[in-house]
Amino acid sequence: MVSPELLAACRQGDPDAFEEVVRRTYRHVYTQALRLVGDRHEAEDVTQDVYLRVFRGLSGFRGESQFETWLYRIVANAAINQLKRRGRFGQLMAEPEPDRGGTGVGAGNFDLPSGEILDEQAADRDALTAALESLPFSLRSVVILKDVYGLSCQEIGEELGTTEGAVKVRLHRARRRLKDLLFDSEG
Amino acid sequence: VSPAVTCDDVLPLLPELAEGGLRTAGPIEAHLESCASCSAELGRYRAVLQELGALSQVVVEPSAQFLAGLLAQMPEARRRAFLYRMAADERVQHAALSLGGAIVGATAIGLLWWRVTRRSLLTGGVAVQEAGDSA
Repeated sequence: MVSPELLAACRQGDPDAFEEVVRRTYRHVYTQALRLVGDRHEAEDVTQDVYLRVFRGLSGFRGESQFETWLYRIVANAAINQLKRRGRFGQLMAEPEPDRGGTGVGAGNFDLPSGEILDEQAADRDALTAALESLPFSLRSVVILKDVYGLSCQEIGEELGTTEGAVKVRLHRARRRLKDLLFDSEG
Repeated sequence: VSPAVTCDDVLPLLPELAEGGLRTAGPIEAHLESCASCSAELGRYRAVLQELGALSQVVVEPSAQFLAGLLAQMPEARRRAFLYRMAADERVQHAALSLGGAIVGATAIGLLWWRVTRRSLLTGGVAVQEAGDSA
């Protein structure tokens, strides 16, 4: 998405480079924020906050990790802060996580496809998105940050204010729930 | 199917195994090679993870005016970021502290000088008045 040369120009204060970084990344930033906060207006607020943080922190970004990974973590932090500001974070994290481990029906109001759709490589992203949305935030946030955006369990734990072990437990449950929702909905 | 390891042993491990791929050897892998049911379940987990990974490249478009609004706030964002970086810079903090100390010191000296000057003016005025009275 963003080249090292563009980042170097940003660090030197080139306003056009800043604008180019925004143009290249804002859709991804907005989408990740939306997946976490679940509301378009709030996702826009988070996106604005993200770029303020990016400009603040860019001089300290030395490229040890990929820029995208660094950016994803900033989005996660900004989204969680947004939920905290709205008083929703504690409530969302405290949502019950019944580990049914069986049929996917009942987790949400989505009409999920049945059968081995993913095995047939007929990727139904709408079904996956619906399945993700049906997860409680405590599971959804973990699986999105880990399996979609590639943050480590330790990094996710730091962002969510919980332990790496708790993140792994939630990740396990979330993956199992998604698999059940997408493959066992006939069950 | 390996007698040492059962499906009940393997199934809870599949979400993690799907992420890392199979190790080269071991009873779990031996079971997976010989058990069609567990192997299929592992395939389902892998398919889920593959689709999740692909989601990172799927974007949701924000509202049409959003980018324009975002870019419009960039100068302000840059200005605030610049001020933030300045405030966080130790050299700037030291300079600000020195400048603040100098201002406080100069103000204190000015006040002292003003009080001394005022007192001497008052004292001088009284002396002139007393001299006039005695004359």
